[in-house]
Amino acid sequence: MKLETSVKGNCITIVGRIDDTAQLHGLAAHVPVGKVVVDTEGVTFVNSIGMREWIRLIRALRETGRSIVLERVADVLMTQMNLIAELAGAVTISSFHAQYVCPSCGHEGTPLVDVGSGLAKMPALPCPECGSAMELGDFPERYLMIFKG
Amino acid sequence: MQRPEAGRARGKLVVLHPERKAQRALHRLVGAAGVPVEVTDKLDGPGTVIDETTIVIADATHAGPLIRPPARAWIAVPGEGLAPADTATISSLLAGGWDHVIAHPMPVLAEELLATVQKLLRRDAFGLEKYLTWSADVRGYTLDNAQDREAVVSELAREVVAFGLPDRVGSMVSVIADELLANAIYAAPVDEAGNRVRVADPRDRVRALAGRDVVTLRWATDARYIAIEVRDRYGSIDPRAIAKRLSVSQTSEGGMGLPLAYACCNQLVLDVAPGKLTEVVALLDVRFKPTDLARTASFHAFTGEAP
Repeated sequence: MKLETSVKGNCITIVGRIDDTAQLHGLAAHVPVGKVVVDTEGVTFVNSIGMREWIRLIRALRETGRSIVLERVADVLMTQMNLIAELAGAVTISSFHAQYVCPSCGHEGTPLVDVGSGLAKMPALPCPECGSAMELGDFPERYLMIFKG
Repeated sequence: MQRPEAGRARGKLVVLHPERKAQRALHRLVGAAGVPVEVTDKLDGPGTVIDETTIVIADATHAGPLIRPPARAWIAVPGEGLAPADTATISSLLAGGWDHVIAHPMPVLAEELLATVQKLLRRDAFGLEKYLTWSADVRGYTLDNAQDREAVVSELAREVVAFGLPDRVGSMVSVIADELLANAIYAAPVDEAGNRVRVADPRDRVRALAGRDVVTLRWATDARYIAIEVRDRYGSIDPRAIAKRLSVSQTSEGGMGLPLAYACCNQLVLDVAPGKLTEVVALLDVRFKPTDLARTASFHAFTGEAP
């Protein structure tokens, strides 16, 4: 799925592949000064060149004094952002998708985790198939390092 | 009585570990290699001779500034008992120039250790088959053009999910394959002076991959692991430099590709025939939850003859 971006008011939406062909940093010029909300729920793939371009977008927004709120961060983007020390504390994350597994029925999915006023540990979430409590299917650090900036 | 046919393994193994129970367990594991095994709790223990025919299997207490005597290879098994090794220890070993660091607990430890020892003893480094059981169906692609990368990665991800593996694995495999292919297409080609001549190529440029520029990807799963193998014909990778880069926190500067592939897999293997062939094999365990294994992947670097 090719990359698609849109800007509506102070909200940037990114869908598809963030790869070698992605040009994201230019989006910074199209949003008003102040708080910017970036929604990446539809991102399906991020490689290392795409990650570099994503960081260029974050830098471009920060350098022009904007505060950045990331909403519904795709799991593939969230785990990669947690590898980059520079991003810790650089953005506010309001919600993100994470790998969960149901110990009862084996269902795996990436439900949305609401950060709310803070997230000290990953919450248990209900399984959409059997209703049991799902557990995080990966190391918490892969999602929570970015909050420790 | 006829003697059974001798195995192909040649050499000697030394298990270097301070704990008797761990010594016994490791002895049992590597004993399957079919060569003599010596067990000791210290480097200068009585009767222990380490020379260039020796493969040493050592615990993490030897990860520090200790000067290791020359040996055929040093393999670090830094986990505590049946627990996985922690990230800091693995990073320290990679930074310290270890070519073989096994991060995971049993049963992965046994499978990985024996495969590593046999590759070294037999001086037979190449091929993903060494990590899989006979039942695995190996599939492959040859890239004719630099622009084939995206199509190959998409097809691979589709096949992986069609095999019944979860979307999570398909997603990881996509990232690993993409980075390994990009490395083979753009970073591997060097001129006679060793300059990396394609590293700045625009990624949207059409470029035929023929002759020495051919890049291949093979993959297979045996329901224990999924293995992805990417080969280029340059043999220009420097495993020690790669290990050092994997040992540090990532920044947005410098090459992020192999560190990202390493972060997505459970075992990264570099097989190099200098000047001729580089093979990178990434293994993902598909049996266990990620949290049942080490958070940071194992690493292995082999140098050998191209097949």
